[in-house]
Amino acid sequence: MSIREVPAAIGRRRRALWDGRVQEIAMLLPALALIAVFLLLPFLSSFRIALTNERLIPRPVPPRFVGLGNFQQILTDHDFWRALWNVARFTLMVLPVQCGFALAIALLLNQKLPFRNFFRGLFFLPAITSMVVVCVIWATLFQYPTGPFNQIVGFLSFGLVQPIDWLGDPNWSMPAIVLLSAWQAYGFQMIVYLAGLQGIPESLYEAAELDGAGRWQRFWHVTMPSLRQTHVFVLIITTIQAFKLFTQVNILTQGGPRGTTDTLVHYMFTAGFVDQRLGLASAVAILLFFIVLVVSLVQRFVVRDRK
Amino acid sequence: MKMRLSNRLLTVLRATTIVGAGFAGLSAAEAANLKLMFQGDPYEVKIITETAKKFEAANPGTTVELINTPHDAYNEKVGAAVSAGALPDIMELDAPFLANYVWSGFLQPIAPYIDKAVLDDMTASNISQGTYPVDKQLYATALVDSTVALYGSRKQLTELGIRIPTSVDDAWTKDEFVAALEKLAASGVKWPIDLFRAYGTKTEWITYAYEPVLVSMGCDVIDRTTWKAGGTLDGEKCVEAAKLLQSFVQKGWVVPQSAGGNQFYAEGRPAGLAWGGHWFYAEAKAQMGDDVVVMPLPKFGEKSASPNGTWIYAITKNASDPALAGKFLSFMLQDPEYRAAYREHAGFPGLKSFAADSPLYASGGAMAVAFEQASKSAVPRPPHPAYPTITLAFQQAMNNIFDGADAQEELSKAAKKIDADIEDNEGYAPFGQAN
Amino acid sequence: MTTISGPAQMAAQTPSRVPRDWSAVIKFVAVLILALVIVSPLFLLVVASLKADRFQILADMGSFRAFWVSDPTLQNFREVWTFSGALPFGRYLLNSLVILFVTVLGGVFLNSMAAFVLAWGRLPGRAIILTALIGLYIVPQESIVLPLLTLVNRVGLSDSFAAQILPFMASPLYIFLIYQFFIQVPRDIYDAATVDGAGPFRIYWSVFLPISLPVLATVAILLGIETWNQYLWPLMVTQTDRARPISVGIASFFGHDSVYWNSAMAASVMMMIPVLIFYLAFQKWFVSSFISSAVKG
Repeated sequence: MSIREVPAAIGRRRRALWDGRVQEIAMLLPALALIAVFLLLPFLSSFRIALTNERLIPRPVPPRFVGLGNFQQILTDHDFWRALWNVARFTLMVLPVQCGFALAIALLLNQKLPFRNFFRGLFFLPAITSMVVVCVIWATLFQYPTGPFNQIVGFLSFGLVQPIDWLGDPNWSMPAIVLLSAWQAYGFQMIVYLAGLQGIPESLYEAAELDGAGRWQRFWHVTMPSLRQTHVFVLIITTIQAFKLFTQVNILTQGGPRGTTDTLVHYMFTAGFVDQRLGLASAVAILLFFIVLVVSLVQRFVVRDRK
Repeated sequence: MKMRLSNRLLTVLRATTIVGAGFAGLSAAEAANLKLMFQGDPYEVKIITETAKKFEAANPGTTVELINTPHDAYNEKVGAAVSAGALPDIMELDAPFLANYVWSGFLQPIAPYIDKAVLDDMTASNISQGTYPVDKQLYATALVDSTVALYGSRKQLTELGIRIPTSVDDAWTKDEFVAALEKLAASGVKWPIDLFRAYGTKTEWITYAYEPVLVSMGCDVIDRTTWKAGGTLDGEKCVEAAKLLQSFVQKGWVVPQSAGGNQFYAEGRPAGLAWGGHWFYAEAKAQMGDDVVVMPLPKFGEKSASPNGTWIYAITKNASDPALAGKFLSFMLQDPEYRAAYREHAGFPGLKSFAADSPLYASGGAMAVAFEQASKSAVPRPPHPAYPTITLAFQQAMNNIFDGADAQEELSKAAKKIDADIEDNEGYAPFGQAN
Repeated sequence: MTTISGPAQMAAQTPSRVPRDWSAVIKFVAVLILALVIVSPLFLLVVASLKADRFQILADMGSFRAFWVSDPTLQNFREVWTFSGALPFGRYLLNSLVILFVTVLGGVFLNSMAAFVLAWGRLPGRAIILTALIGLYIVPQESIVLPLLTLVNRVGLSDSFAAQILPFMASPLYIFLIYQFFIQVPRDIYDAATVDGAGPFRIYWSVFLPISLPVLATVAILLGIETWNQYLWPLMVTQTDRARPISVGIASFFGHDSVYWNSAMAASVMMMIPVLIFYLAFQKWFVSSFISSAVKG
């Protein structure tokens, strides 16, 4: 439909509104179309695959419709629930560590500081390092029993604390992964906070100072509330990212020791790419999707604007 | 159809511009194009590129298109290529997956297309890794193969009065092996043996390196005639083998996974022996010099067993001109420079003439014993289309067993998983039907 | 863009008054130490890249010797370049840069445009679209990579730049991020623009974009890093050197039975440099935006 078909009787305002709508659609469409083709479509196809026993490498035996068999198999698999528990644990640990640290550094780097750009670069270095390289480095740091971390622990405790098998001890494996992940990824949250801090009007601080607010009061009553939208974004996105934990686990522990670092995506990857059961893996992906969706919706509900 | 033609034209066009003015006059229709999919480190890429160029020069009108795929996502790429009907003419593949690919109908027998000289030159181990058990035909070949040997320090072993075997025939027995580990432990060595758990918990290494222990003790991950895991993998002998390995870990004899794969030669030599692949020799030699001694894997039961298998070349059913593909493979495997490059990187010979040509593996060489295993004790991993599931189930079981789980329980679980997959694929007919 | 990062502007950003000299020094030293601790693991990477012998790198791993090199050499860096022919790293670098710039340029534009409509447009169903987008962000890349690969193969985009650019340009994550920023813009600014009779695109282009430099820089940086370090997807979708990025080139050093640690480390260091420059260039946009001044005035 083109503008010419709109009856001339409609006033200028209506036409402007109409023009606006067309423009809006034109502005929204390119992004949505790309996402639809390259994200939504492939994802939808996994709903179909999840109902079959399709394989990674096509086989002479044609794929069979198995109904909800894959879901049944997953939901009765102890390992799946363990993987879910593990990502939940990971998320609860990594959220405060990573976001707290990122906010602290962002506040620091937002102040007047000599060589500030240099520091901004330095603190961002871990974030630009590829995960494969990060894992190689941290495997060395964590090495048991003589790696740098253990030497530092031994030195600080005057040799009282025995070397810790960071990645090999079921009690330490997840905290070790949390530490490494937070180190590699805090730059993401840091930079989002840094951007958020730019949006806080200077006048708010000035007003607070006139009211005699101290440093902490200004932080709690000006900075934190002003970062509200940023917090919401960081909370939801970090949670989703945490639930998708995969690469570092796949390289460093492959889910071990004793399954303590097996995650949902790792479970899915193993089913699909190692065991070659594409149907099963697609079913895991769908379950993962709905689990995280529920978590996100709950988060959105909890932090919603109460006006 | 149209698109494929234009794609073809495009590739030919690209190839001709690369190869140069020499072929510029050729019309696209006459040019034969060979697509080769392979994986390799930079040295392999370099030598294969050069070999391909020489082949093109020797066979005017032929172009070889190299599709270099890092081995990380190789299977996924194969899967996608099959789905899209875009398999190359020649593809490199990991030997234990051969049966899966042949059964799936991607590959064709290569013997008719390969020079007889090359076929006759293949070692027994090389033939076994490329053979499909159903029709007993050869589907793949390669210049190289692989093995695992036992490494030690000559000085340390001599000091402790531990006998150093020099041939597969006088390999340590199980008791001798355990006694050696005990002696090493008693002498104050931190870890008597490195089994390279550092390679990871979901890695082919586990099946590759530890299955021979099972085979040597008279069992296997799957029965190779009935193709059933139940009753074999969870049988008495396998449980015994798994318990033996578990006991090493429980006694604190084995280098833990997070200690890294360098403990045999790192400062202070924390590990006494190393159960390492042939590629490990170069690493150890770089630090320890001639003190490294290479020994055959122990004979745990009635017979010796050692692993084999590496990345090998097959001709796909898609190949438009299989004879040309075979011609290229024959050319490559006999190319002196190709061989020299592999010799330089201590490639484990898969051809007898290449072994004679490699001082490291030839009689009197430091790795001669390791090469001897290829003809005397090499056992390929089960050539069965369910191999992806077999190896994953075995890996998971062995990890849990190393971590202290009950061997019988874990192996039963693995056997059930394997048999369930076979059933899920309607037995992978014709497997398990003959005999 | 640089005009607003003048010294006066920088000072105005500081929320608190300039502290006394000694406390500034202490703070500086504290930040420096913290920065060194944070960055120290990366020394290992740099040190390893200066060791010529890959076996030595292996032997030193897992102890403090990994942080020390006795005879540093740039040989590894030279070697990575001399693989050219077999592995043309110059070509990979160029490919990566092309992919980076097109993706970031297109991504910033498309995502911010969509975010603007979702935040300020009048189309019905915007809230639903936004929720659906956040939902889609949940889908892990690993789960769609195969259907996507089949799709790309079918439409003949295999082994192309387009296959590495188009799927990542538009992103729910960045639409959401910009959206969160846009909805904080005071209503007055939007209303003032509509009174002038400007259409949505005009408002977006000449009012919202200029005041959004920090968030646009954030998106550019994050999308840039993500694109630069993409591995699994380009690994699957590229077949030849034509469009292969440097991340995949480096993967070749991790062979199936031996790892060329020296080359891998040197190449990894080299790979970090362009993206670091990219980051430093964009972080200059982190200046107090006009929103604050608009509110004040």
